[in-house]
Amino acid sequence: MSGYKVMIVDDSAFSRTMIAESLRQIGCEVVGEADCIDSLVEIYANCQPDLVTMDLIMPGTDGFECSTALRLYDQNAKIILVSSMKDEQTEAEARRVGIVGYVQKPLDQEILLGIINNIMSPDTLYLQILDRGIELFKESLAQNLTRMTKCPVTFTPTSTDNQQFISQGITAIIGIIGHYSGTMILDLSIDVAEKCVSSLLNRPSKDRDETLAMVAELANIVAGVACSMLNKLDKTYSLRVAPPSVFSSSSAEIASPSLNIHSYCVETGFGCIFFGIGFKKGSTLWM
Amino acid sequence: MDVKHINPILNAFSEIIPQLGFDSIVKTKIALLGSSVEYSGILIDIGLYGTIKGVVLIGMSIDSAMTFASKMMMGMEVSSFDSLAQSAISEMGNMVCANACTQFNNVGISGLDISPPTVMISDFGTATLPANQVILISFIVDGIDVNVYVGLM
Repeated sequence: MSGYKVMIVDDSAFSRTMIAESLRQIGCEVVGEADCIDSLVEIYANCQPDLVTMDLIMPGTDGFECSTALRLYDQNAKIILVSSMKDEQTEAEARRVGIVGYVQKPLDQEILLGIINNIMSPDTLYLQILDRGIELFKESLAQNLTRMTKCPVTFTPTSTDNQQFISQGITAIIGIIGHYSGTMILDLSIDVAEKCVSSLLNRPSKDRDETLAMVAELANIVAGVACSMLNKLDKTYSLRVAPPSVFSSSSAEIASPSLNIHSYCVETGFGCIFFGIGFKKGSTLWM
Repeated sequence: MDVKHINPILNAFSEIIPQLGFDSIVKTKIALLGSSVEYSGILIDIGLYGTIKGVVLIGMSIDSAMTFASKMMMGMEVSSFDSLAQSAISEMGNMVCANACTQFNNVGISGLDISPPTVMISDFGTATLPANQVILISFIVDGIDVNVYVGLM
């Protein structure tokens, strides 16, 4: 018996009755029902469910649009698509709008219970990426910086209230894509970046472009090596690294609103480098 | 520059923005730029990876971002570009880029996925994208200037 609170979104009263009955049979409590997009968010806000079951095709809207509206209100909303249709394109679109599960009608209670328990149980793989994964990223950065500066580096955690950081001058952002998506941020002053270039090339940096290219390459290598190590640890991660973008400004702030960024001041022989890494929970379960 | 990269982004923007409560979307310019672009205000940075890879940036002034976020939150007053406004704006970027993956799939560029958004905020800064050439698509959305920079390869 699961005991979870569930809201049902379906335009058909008959379907809602059938889904509600299946949910009750497996011990869930149906706390709200919506039959269209208009009342969706209000009902969700009032009943505060643990989970939402979402129909795919509804008059004037669809399950993707409704899911988008719900996730705009609550980005942690856990939505299970319940549809008689099941094809590759629908699955891909469902994943992209942040739906976490997909069950086919007619509902099989055992399958439904399995997927609900999976969604609601602690995600051990995610806990592992937070624990071991962040250490591997730090290890990868430390190895590369030590090689470059010929000095050991030390990591000091930095704290922030709102996931917002002040740039020191140059910021490289790397997008991580895979079973869990994430972001790696490397931020350093122009002075520190130029010292890194001098150390690597045995001559001063030619110009700003060369310095920025070095920062991009360093970020790319650090993230690439760390993701490879994580993929070896568990191939389910399937992590890939998007190429870096690099920002430079004498006064900039960096915000990562959808992630809990673990941030560190990395003391190197050349000065402090800011290092941030975070992963998003959101593995999708399909039955 | 690959012209196949323009329409999926255009279509995604045109499909998602009305869902966020905006009425008018006018494409005002498409231009080809080098890999570095100057910005003043905010840039949402989202990485893409798959059969093509790179970065999409969505930029606007800070005032525009506050107006945009307010409209997304059904007119709620936004007096500074605070964490709530940042969250709303980055969710817009996330939705546009996620939809762009579907649009790319429709033109045979499959298997793309995106990273979570990061927001850069500066009065004056430079962004260097990982592609040699960047496509700039400018829009006016309910009177708000929005620039989308597509650096894919």
